[in-house]
Amino acid sequence: MLTCQDDGCDGLWVLYTGGMLLVPAVTLVLSIGADSPSQWWADQPVTPVTPPAVEGDGWCRNDIDRFILARLEAAGIEPAAEADRRALVRRATYDLTGLPPTPEAVEAFVADTRPDAYERLIEDLLASPQYGVKWGRHWLDRVRWAETDGYERDRSKPGAWRYRDWVVEAYNNDMPYDEFITMQLAGDEIPDRDFSSMVATGFLHLGVRDDEPTDPETAIYDDLDGMLDTTCRATLGISMGCVRCHDHKKDPIPQTDYYSMLACFRGLKPYRQGYGNAVIPSHYIRNLPLDYGHEDTTAIERWVTKRDELRDAADTLAREALQKQGGATDQPDPSAAFRLPDSGLVKYLDFEGDPDICEAGPSGHALLVRTVEDSQTIDRPVEDDFTISVAFRPDADGRGSGDPRWFLGSGLVDGEISGIVDDYGISWFKGGRVTAGVGRPETFLHSPPGLTLGEWHYAALTRDRATGVVQLWVDGELVDEETGGKQALNSPEVLAIGRMHPGGNPFPGAIDEVRIYDRVLSPSEILAIHDSPGYGEDARTLVQQRLGDEAAARHDELVETRQQLTRPKAEVVDVLAAIEFGTEAPTTHVLGRGNAHSPEEEVHPAVPEILGGDRLPIVPPSHGDSTGRRLALAKWIVDPGNPRTSRVLANRLWQHHFGRGIVATPDEFGKLGLPPTHPELLDWLAAAVVERDWRLKDMHRLIMNSATYRMDSRASDDARRVDPINELFSRFDMRRLTAEEVRDSILMVNGSINTTIGGEPVYPPLPEEVLATASRPGAAWRNSSPEDAARRSLYVHVKRSLKMPLLEMFDMADTDTACPVRFNTTVPTQALTMLNSDLLNNQAMVLAERLQAESGDDPEAMIRRGLELATQRPAHPDDVASCLAMLSDLESGGLSRENAMRYVCLGILNTNAFMYID
Amino acid sequence: MTDCFSQPDGPRNTFCGQTRREFLWEAGGAFTSVALASMLASDGFLSSQACAADGLTPFGGPLAPRPSLVTPKAKAVIFLFMYGGPSQVDTFDYKPKLYPLDGKTIDVDTRGRGGPKSQGRIVGPKWNFKQYGQCGKYVSELFPHVGGCVDDIAFVHSMTADSPLHGSAMLMMNSGKVLSGAPCLGSWVNYGLGSVNENLPGFVVMLDHTGGPISGAKNWSSGYMPASFAGTVMRSSGTPILDLDPPAGLNRGNQRKMLDHLREMNERHRLSRIDNQDLAARIHSYELAYRMQEHAPDAVDVSMETEETRSLYGMDQERTRDFGRKCLMARRLVERGVRFVQIYSGGNHNDANWDAHGDLVKNHEYHAGNTDKPVAALLKDLKRRGMLDETLVIWGGEFGRQPTAEYAEGTGRDHNSDGFTMWMAGGGVKGGVSLGTTDDLGNKAVDRPLHVKHLHATILRQMGLDPNALSYFHAGLDQKLVGVEHVEPIHELI
Repeated sequence: MLTCQDDGCDGLWVLYTGGMLLVPAVTLVLSIGADSPSQWWADQPVTPVTPPAVEGDGWCRNDIDRFILARLEAAGIEPAAEADRRALVRRATYDLTGLPPTPEAVEAFVADTRPDAYERLIEDLLASPQYGVKWGRHWLDRVRWAETDGYERDRSKPGAWRYRDWVVEAYNNDMPYDEFITMQLAGDEIPDRDFSSMVATGFLHLGVRDDEPTDPETAIYDDLDGMLDTTCRATLGISMGCVRCHDHKKDPIPQTDYYSMLACFRGLKPYRQGYGNAVIPSHYIRNLPLDYGHEDTTAIERWVTKRDELRDAADTLAREALQKQGGATDQPDPSAAFRLPDSGLVKYLDFEGDPDICEAGPSGHALLVRTVEDSQTIDRPVEDDFTISVAFRPDADGRGSGDPRWFLGSGLVDGEISGIVDDYGISWFKGGRVTAGVGRPETFLHSPPGLTLGEWHYAALTRDRATGVVQLWVDGELVDEETGGKQALNSPEVLAIGRMHPGGNPFPGAIDEVRIYDRVLSPSEILAIHDSPGYGEDARTLVQQRLGDEAAARHDELVETRQQLTRPKAEVVDVLAAIEFGTEAPTTHVLGRGNAHSPEEEVHPAVPEILGGDRLPIVPPSHGDSTGRRLALAKWIVDPGNPRTSRVLANRLWQHHFGRGIVATPDEFGKLGLPPTHPELLDWLAAAVVERDWRLKDMHRLIMNSATYRMDSRASDDARRVDPINELFSRFDMRRLTAEEVRDSILMVNGSINTTIGGEPVYPPLPEEVLATASRPGAAWRNSSPEDAARRSLYVHVKRSLKMPLLEMFDMADTDTACPVRFNTTVPTQALTMLNSDLLNNQAMVLAERLQAESGDDPEAMIRRGLELATQRPAHPDDVASCLAMLSDLESGGLSRENAMRYVCLGILNTNAFMYID
Repeated sequence: MTDCFSQPDGPRNTFCGQTRREFLWEAGGAFTSVALASMLASDGFLSSQACAADGLTPFGGPLAPRPSLVTPKAKAVIFLFMYGGPSQVDTFDYKPKLYPLDGKTIDVDTRGRGGPKSQGRIVGPKWNFKQYGQCGKYVSELFPHVGGCVDDIAFVHSMTADSPLHGSAMLMMNSGKVLSGAPCLGSWVNYGLGSVNENLPGFVVMLDHTGGPISGAKNWSSGYMPASFAGTVMRSSGTPILDLDPPAGLNRGNQRKMLDHLREMNERHRLSRIDNQDLAARIHSYELAYRMQEHAPDAVDVSMETEETRSLYGMDQERTRDFGRKCLMARRLVERGVRFVQIYSGGNHNDANWDAHGDLVKNHEYHAGNTDKPVAALLKDLKRRGMLDETLVIWGGEFGRQPTAEYAEGTGRDHNSDGFTMWMAGGGVKGGVSLGTTDDLGNKAVDRPLHVKHLHATILRQMGLDPNALSYFHAGLDQKLVGVEHVEPIHELI
């Protein structure tokens, strides 16, 4: 069980006492309680800031530079000179795409004499789809991106990659940040929700999840804690985790704040419940058509037109026969003239009974089901061959989610008995599907989703005992067919009409025309019931008698065409998405010491006291699926008046461009964090983000076009003395390539990179030694094709218990908690991997092959080209000489020219000039 | 190498002669921002985080040696991890009253993978116990060799853990938390102490030949600490460390030539960027890697040992060869300064480890038979070399097993985290003692119940670290291996 002691909250006290003495926590709380919430800088409104006047205004390219230069002038140092063009293009290209420029792109930029050549470069890079791959990854660091749940089984998160793609696309489309945040928190609660906004809510399900927790109740709160803490750190710069157990030690954030915000997520259905190791996919996976929210209505209209044409044709044919003299009847209307099939009809319900609970249906009254009490029960009429047909008008969506299995739905005609027994039934399932099935072996049938609400539909289940074939028909169309068992289906004694047999889950709507036959009806008979008697056997007989065989064949053809007329449908896929209980959420209480079993006072969705403490205005969405709490939270977070959101965002943009934020603790803007080094600049940038309607690409333009961004990375002697750690941004800080950039650059330099955007994860080969560390070594990883294995690192499958060594070694983001700043370690095992791994040696060979293909057999030309590809500048003659010496030393050491060149290429990929960006 | 802690008389708000902020930015923003903040905010903060998170010591920095803050008893830990959970009543927790109850269904509260139960069919211990050593300790006939070492062993019979389920229990035993994401014991030890041998990793893990434990690398992860504190998986055959061997076509002499020319280029590159210490660090890391290639194979080359020693470890017998080799490798590693070695007995799933849900006799005969002799040999070998005093050996699983049967038929036992046995030897721990008891059924700890955190505190304490002070700032919290409440080591044993 997770209790407070596991959270380390009290440990803060140790921190502030140097570990010398433990003093009761309450003392500390009192000493901090004196702070007024309104005093802290990060909680003050962002007010307009005028850039300071500077002496060297000629250096400034925009206002950013005035803030930077003012501090430098005060310190008495000059800003560094502008970086040379090659350094600039390399810096900007890595910064916006995570890839090196090609040597050709570098030379083109160097040769571009237009005054706005640099601005054009930035525009081109911002327009590249690789921009989203790089900047999307920055966001994924903050949200614990991984594609598995962790723990013993490390289950995969179905369709998680769609969320990753959504993030990349959002960046590429320059989605405004307010929308970006709102979609992730509440894409299911916005008025015009669609497939994409549903995918965005996958954000809520990215964390580690124990599928077999010791304490199931605590596990639910662990999950909610992850959502809350990740949200608060990423958007507000508040670490909430420690407030789970008791009031914050340093910032005035009481425990009630934590639970009031937690209440915003409380409506979400939990990952799992109770003991055991079963999870509940229907609580976090939606089955959605790819065009959800953008259905192709014209296709539906075309289908309706065609259906009506066919029916009219069948009716016309029947009418012709009726009107032809000499027949037994001369009634002109087929529906009045022909009987519906009655041979083998063993049960017929038309609900022409109590008018109080009935309303108009296809035949007079219908059964309106509002509660379980409205449902009816009949003795089981069939067990061998049968056809069960029912007319129904759904007024709301059905129960169930996950795989469409009939017994999870809302009952239409049902005889389910729990366990694997000889039963059968038809139900109405979430997403607008009809589902049906028979037991032993469990055999499931389902229609496509999206059946319209509020209209009458027909469903029929047929079963042929001799063959075991079962078919599901909806509105005259054969939608599914399976083969089940061949035994008598006699487990249920009775059938329920309008609910599931075990006693619950009523059908939300009206039911009529229940027809149960002890035989399998023909397609034309089913069409006669579902659509028009003109399709029926009686009509066909009359057509043949009066109009001849040719007309009868035409009738057969109409039946067949109609039976196969497929209702337009989109592919339905699993989407990791928010799913709530409904408009009401379980109550939320403050938990004493964070213990899930110690509920104290009840709380309601509200914002933290330091930011006003107001109750959030909750409006449940019209679809009735959820509480609206997350949408209210999102709206408050992205309100332009929220003093934290724009500052945190502006700081993050700065951080990723310059290597460290103006606030160096990007997810901690409270007292545990560092104060901003340039507070006015931060506020100016925060205001600029809002002015630009939260669009990030224009912020990149602003920042990258500053003189500050264009400075050289070398420090002058003065700067080194006065500003040794570059707190003033007197120069541009060098940086090492990130884990992903190391791998992607190797593939780029040797020309094998596959820059395809999006799609399912890829599985580049892993060393056998690494696979052997998994508890199921054979099942831990898959094998991608060589093309897929050369995809960018963003697309490599992120499995919590098994990571790609190269990426892990170079400090990829931790997957279990939000990663605000990546580590930057330098250890010898990195060198071992860069020198000895199969990955590097294979890629070095590919590079050698490329060099030979491009430069022939001249070793000097090959080396020159290799250095140029790796460092994106003309090869320095001394470096060429070193490489040539390496080549000749290796050759005299007994290696062939080819092998020696491969190791020279390996050497080039190991240079600091390749690994570091000026 | 600069020592971050050797300036007790320096100004309170300086760090290695620099202001904290200077230090931090020279470190190149090399660690999480919150870690940074904690340093800046807390004068006199005794954390070793700053050094550990790479920076001041420019290369191999994270693992540079650091002096202990309390007098250390042990220099190294060897954790023999009996993955799956050995049954205490069949191994070291002698329960004579349990034998006659065999087959009887009685009222007893248990908590395992099947959830809480209040009744169960007793499975009597399947092995006889006999007394060993001067202390007269009862040990099951599964462990005749370990039995011979009891006078050097301190048994803890009253261990408890928070979870009776493998996933979370493994994480707890290894990282102190049932939640994923925290650094492991070996990471904490290296974070606190650094390594005295830069040519070898400081935290080594050896896995069973059948595969890793469940959750794989999470069991030797550095969690929120940098990856340099993660365990390095070492293999008992082939190349010991991933990517240690140069590629087949490149001999050592040629690799040296290649590295020399690489160094020329990197030094040239550095010349105009002299204030960037990372560049120098990276250049040096290649020299360390080159040396590691020489030293690591040597460290695990058991062919350098005498015939007698290899035979002592059971390397001359099929069943004990693999585990014996790993135990011998462990001794050679700690001899060379490796701080923390963990060896798994059992891997994969089901009966490939000690998780005896079905046939208890078959399962435990197999795993005990593979490990008894090597484990005893490790203790004897360390002792005769005078190393046992400074090497703390731990034996145990993530939990124990129930006295009752899991199913209607058979001898299999479900998991039990409410009372189980672990033992320690060496490293300043008393020998020939037993602490704590379970009830007469061996089901729940009754006398002196101890928790995993007490075990962890004891290990840290013996290594010279204060378990209640060793902390790492992360996510707004001052994180510790043992949690926030003050935890005492198990004083009776040290």
